[in-house]
Amino acid sequence: MIAQYSGIAPKGDLVLLQKLGEKLHNKSFLHVNSTRAGGGVAEILHRMMPILSELGINARWEVIGGDERFFEITKKLHNALQGKLETFSDEMWQHHLEVNKVNAESLNLEADAVLIHDPQPVPLVEFRKGGKWIWRCHIDVANPIKEVWDYLSRYCDKYDGTIFSVAKFARTMPVDEFIIAPSIDPLSDKNRDLSEDEIRETVERLQIPLDRPIILQVSRFDRFKDPIGVIKAYRTAKKYNECVLILVGSAAADDPEGEMVLNEVKEHSAGDPDIYLHLLPPFSDKDINALQRIATVVLQKSLKEGFGLTVTETMWKGKPVIGGATGGIPLQITHGVTGFLVSSVDGAAFRIRQLLNNPEMAKKMGEAAREYVRTNFLMPRQIRDYLSVWYSMENKGKRLEL
Amino acid sequence: MADQKEEGSERIPESFRFKQCVNILKSTGKKAKNLRELWNGIEAASSESVYHHTYQYFLKGHSLEYSNDFAQWAGESLEERVLAEHLSSIDPYEFADILDLRNKLLEVIDDYLETFPESKEVVPGNEFYFNETITMVFPVGIRARNLAEFLIAVRYLDAGSIYYHFYDARSRLGGKDDFSRWFEEVLAKKELAEKIRAMDPFMHTLDGIRQHIMEAVDEEVRKDMEVMPL
Repeated sequence: MIAQYSGIAPKGDLVLLQKLGEKLHNKSFLHVNSTRAGGGVAEILHRMMPILSELGINARWEVIGGDERFFEITKKLHNALQGKLETFSDEMWQHHLEVNKVNAESLNLEADAVLIHDPQPVPLVEFRKGGKWIWRCHIDVANPIKEVWDYLSRYCDKYDGTIFSVAKFARTMPVDEFIIAPSIDPLSDKNRDLSEDEIRETVERLQIPLDRPIILQVSRFDRFKDPIGVIKAYRTAKKYNECVLILVGSAAADDPEGEMVLNEVKEHSAGDPDIYLHLLPPFSDKDINALQRIATVVLQKSLKEGFGLTVTETMWKGKPVIGGATGGIPLQITHGVTGFLVSSVDGAAFRIRQLLNNPEMAKKMGEAAREYVRTNFLMPRQIRDYLSVWYSMENKGKRLEL
Repeated sequence: MADQKEEGSERIPESFRFKQCVNILKSTGKKAKNLRELWNGIEAASSESVYHHTYQYFLKGHSLEYSNDFAQWAGESLEERVLAEHLSSIDPYEFADILDLRNKLLEVIDDYLETFPESKEVVPGNEFYFNETITMVFPVGIRARNLAEFLIAVRYLDAGSIYYHFYDARSRLGGKDDFSRWFEEVLAKKELAEKIRAMDPFMHTLDGIRQHIMEAVDEEVRKDMEVMPL
């Protein structure tokens, strides 16, 4: 497994992984989340487990279960942590704890290090049995509903450490807070190299024209992704440059606003044969990969964003991205070097024109973008960081020589 | 880096063993939304935090607009370009310890606030976040026994290795870097060492530093190979 990343991921990351594997050899590392399939966390865990085992670490992955009520509560919890106003009763908090208690009785929670992913299993810490316990928060908690954060904090404080994706998500806490950016897997269907035949298959099936430059945005139909702003920017750019726009997204079943936004997008794009709107089913990773590879300019014109892994994915394909200056996007796009950061429709239109008219500049930016992702946002780096956090908890000090 | 060997009466040069460092970022949970809060934050920050935002700036692979995180934030987020220029011109290696560096940072901000007391405020999300790091240092499993091997190694090393030997070394060795020390003390290449030391560490990216080192070493290796110098 690790050998597959050789020549792709930075050598130093792979060397450090091996070194940490030697130090943590035969120790046990338990991951707990709430789903075995679907979502970025499960996707990364599937890839990470065999790598940890190959390093000589006894890695296990447990999944908590719960009734419908439990997952309704955790969905609300998730939303409230992202700033959406939700109402909670004491009974709901109690149910959240009770379900975790039941899980704690049936799961083997004994390990040298336990990494709890996201808020669903966070109360498990009440039933910890030795080892270092770390809570990994994958979601944007920059502006959580205070009552909900306070509830969660009671559990967080019982961990040995917490991990957030971006520094701005971290808050003053009595435990160590680490910042570990998420990552993409360069070997997954969404990111691996594609053959010309594979790309052609997607292009023909989705009837994408290749005779003009392609502007692309891949994202859920969500107001925070500003699809209408993307259409407006494309229209302005099109006055000066012949191009087509592809908007690709999925229907978010858990988002009642999704359909409304999709209808607005349809309304705004009606009558323009050069706007291609595609609702892709789940697991369309190869298609998204192909579209990112044929695009000339890719937008992620978000108004609010967590980390923005679609930006990372696109940059990995050597494309310059025009991204909204929000959330984790500025951590990836160095303005004018690995892409452009914009704060308005006019800004996005201007940068589209700039990239369409300067293919050499776009190429250079794309190359810088790919290298930036290679050195910072590939999966071996994330595993390296998890193991480093664990190792640093067992070996105190600000500078650790391996 | 220690690998002195004796073979018969011939002394084999000590080989250069490359290491690398990786920083694991830790949040202090503290942030600043204006210049006064930045001043308070710097005054209260741990030495590790000040060290991270100044000395470790170059490991992040930034472009060359600024030379530390404070200057970058002042310039990009606060849009106080004059202050950013002043903060950027602070050379952390000129200071004997973090306390002196911290005082200099505070003095520069103080001076600026005297002239421009109305401090701007950034929009939420663009605050300055005070962080620290845990530094993991490890050998990368590559050694060079001579300049030719060194040249090949430097070409392929991760930038983190260049950082460790060129920037991080200055804190460990009192202003010197590992490369020039090895050139001078082990290979007796004083001129080459001086060339490396003459490089302004603030005016290059890590890849720029790599390029300059390669050019200097390449020239030295070519000189060594010439039987009949013209």
